[in-house]
Amino acid sequence: MTWEDMSEERFLTLAAAYGADMARWPSGDRAAAEAFVAANPKIVEACLAAERLLDAALERYRERDAAAPLRARIIAAAPRERAAGAMWRWLTGAGLGLGLAASCAAGVAAGYTLGHPAVARLMGPALLDSGQLSAVADPAGDAAAS
Amino acid sequence: MTSGPADPDDELVRRAGQGDAAAVQALVARKLRRVLALAERMLGDPAEAEDVAQETFFRVWRNAARWRPGVARFDTWLHRVTLNLCYDRLRRRRERPVAEPPDAPDPGPAPDRGLLAADIGVRVRAALQGLPPRQREAIVLCHYQELGNIEAAGLMGVSIEALESLLSRGRRALKSALADLAGPD
Repeated sequence: MTWEDMSEERFLTLAAAYGADMARWPSGDRAAAEAFVAANPKIVEACLAAERLLDAALERYRERDAAAPLRARIIAAAPRERAAGAMWRWLTGAGLGLGLAASCAAGVAAGYTLGHPAVARLMGPALLDSGQLSAVADPAGDAAAS
Repeated sequence: MTSGPADPDDELVRRAGQGDAAAVQALVARKLRRVLALAERMLGDPAEAEDVAQETFFRVWRNAARWRPGVARFDTWLHRVTLNLCYDRLRRRRERPVAEPPDAPDPGPAPDRGLLAADIGVRVRAALQGLPPRQREAIVLCHYQELGNIEAAGLMGVSIEALESLLSRGRRALKSALADLAGPD
């Protein structure tokens, strides 16, 4: 890997995006960037100085430890939330099952109702002629109706 | 499907999903600080960040039992959940502007004293909050959460080039907002 594998423009882009610490740069660019630094110390210094100041300032905004009560609340809630998740999954699963069962029941009921000779008479011959009831029609009833 | 090394969190998540109390504690010890830091830097408000961290973990507990190893990294999923909750709150703020922002930081240094480390932290927090949310998100993910560029871009749903553009625009705005920190001591 030589410094020529990285253009000055790409080096400046990486510094502007990821800052002065090359450990934060994309791993695929790092070796070429280090070679570029060795070959172009003046360009690098001018470019990285401002980035280094910003990096140092960003480090002053430190994260804090989670407060003990928050930690305790989260841990204490685990069994309750786990049960809630399980219940929700059961309900949605049961809901889906019930929905399917209701659809099936409605389909059977509709088939039975439409296939019933009395209803068939009311619906008229057009429906019967269409063959839509063939799967659910009662042959005995049909014979009686005809 | 992700490739590469196995997710170091998979086993803990699986055990937490089975109700293993030790795994629950270990997961909190491993991830809470990270989730809280992400939320706090996105929202700039410690109290709201705690609410988000708590809700994030509640979602973990509710979903751990159906976690499928290999589909996504748990840490990435955790970041996504946290960010979604943060964006919900940012959206609500826009819809219902408050008279006074929470914990409004000083806009600049006090004239009669130098900048202490804590003061600089407050200035940085204010400058971060002044960024457009997507630029802030890019900087928080890459600089503070130390995600790789591929993971951060994937999480944000943008290309690497777009991520680098967000990062450089964000850093440029921060340099401008914090320019006085670079002055002579």
